[in-house]
Amino acid sequence: MRIDRRIIFVLIAFSVAIPLIFKIGLPNRVTKEVRMVYDAIDELEREEVVLVSFDHEASSLPEIKPMADAILRHCFSKDLKVISFALLAEGTAIGDQILRDIAAEYEKRYGEDYVYLGFRPQYTAAILGLGEDLHRVFPEDYRGISTSELPLTKKIKNYNDISLVISIADGDLPSYWINYAEARYHQRLAIAVTAVMATTYYPYLSSGQIKGLVGGLKGAAEYEILIGKPGMGGKGMDAQSIAHLVILFLVALGNVSYFLGRRNNSKGTG
Amino acid sequence: MLVQFFIPHRSFIFAYENVLDWMQIIYVFTLLVGVANYIKINSKKVSTKIKGWGYNLVALSGLLVMVILGFAQGTGEDTPFLWMFNHIQAPMQATMFSLLAFFVASAAYRGFRARSKEATILLLTAAVVMLGRVPIGNMIHSSIPDLANWILNFPSMAARRGILIGIGLGTISTSLRIILGIERTYLGRE
Repeated sequence: MRIDRRIIFVLIAFSVAIPLIFKIGLPNRVTKEVRMVYDAIDELEREEVVLVSFDHEASSLPEIKPMADAILRHCFSKDLKVISFALLAEGTAIGDQILRDIAAEYEKRYGEDYVYLGFRPQYTAAILGLGEDLHRVFPEDYRGISTSELPLTKKIKNYNDISLVISIADGDLPSYWINYAEARYHQRLAIAVTAVMATTYYPYLSSGQIKGLVGGLKGAAEYEILIGKPGMGGKGMDAQSIAHLVILFLVALGNVSYFLGRRNNSKGTG
Repeated sequence: MLVQFFIPHRSFIFAYENVLDWMQIIYVFTLLVGVANYIKINSKKVSTKIKGWGYNLVALSGLLVMVILGFAQGTGEDTPFLWMFNHIQAPMQATMFSLLAFFVASAAYRGFRARSKEATILLLTAAVVMLGRVPIGNMIHSSIPDLANWILNFPSMAARRGILIGIGLGTISTSLRIILGIERTYLGRE
């Protein structure tokens, strides 16, 4: 039996679109690795500094944004200071937008409660440079204001003044954070990555080199449960659940037709 | 880079910080080389009007428009550059990425067959992880997410660790070969 690929495309389109339009609200279970990120942030004291790095491109925005939103909401609700930047050019505008939106939700003031430093090329040099002197790597913020003048950044020299680094990524940039910030400077590090990249970082989780891992929409949905603020992560998981079921149904159907075809062939030759 | 790690004298740290600055400067120039190459390749296709040259023209126009908008009115908040990025580039790239779901579904239906014992194990593992990573798996049976986590945390991680150790050893041996002058193929030599 052969199904026209256009029918498969329509099935997938509906299985994704309908749960996004009509909320199903499937119950999610919080996993250990997501709770570890939550705990790593939650145990910080008020006014401690968290560095959030937007290490992703625009293509992964639907998966990245719910994770970034949830993590930043947690940081701002805890009155932590947030310094942020992007190590991939396309993450620059996205990071700025997300940070501004979430900061506005919590009425945070730019320069005092949060700062956005913009994009810095050559991530290896940038990550290593932050271990020596932040002002050398980022003499100015994204708006062109000197980092030596901004109340938040003027008192920060290097990783010693940063309590936690969170890399929100869609590729292998967290590996560079692990190699250069964690291993070289012993910087506490947590990561939020797209689902397809999550398995890559499980070894680092068990070795203790990362303090937690938020993986894809599922991770975002779990984090939303932990902070008690439902968002796009939960809605996305409904869609992903149905899409996974449809794909598994198609795989099963493909296998049934394969075995039936094989049986018929063997009967024909017998 | 390596020496300052072991000898934290200020002269080495000074050299180290300068090397880091130079790495960033050189990287920016490599971006320029990339842009020049992009313009050269696309311009050639447009001028020779080879099949599909219209797409190359669109690509060149996109580059030109963004550069003009960026230089004319900046890239900050409420600028046309940012509007173009947020409303054209980001949705287009997300759309391209999202198309994967459709092709994955189609390919899974056509190609994911239990043809052998190994393929059957792979298929069953994939099914468990796919169900275990979404809430509906928990609704079907509460042990499915646990089984999916076990697969990720043990067999999958063991394989991943093996790959990582292999990459590490390979990197060290290749680096040593280059440092000692044994490996010269990167210079175009045998």
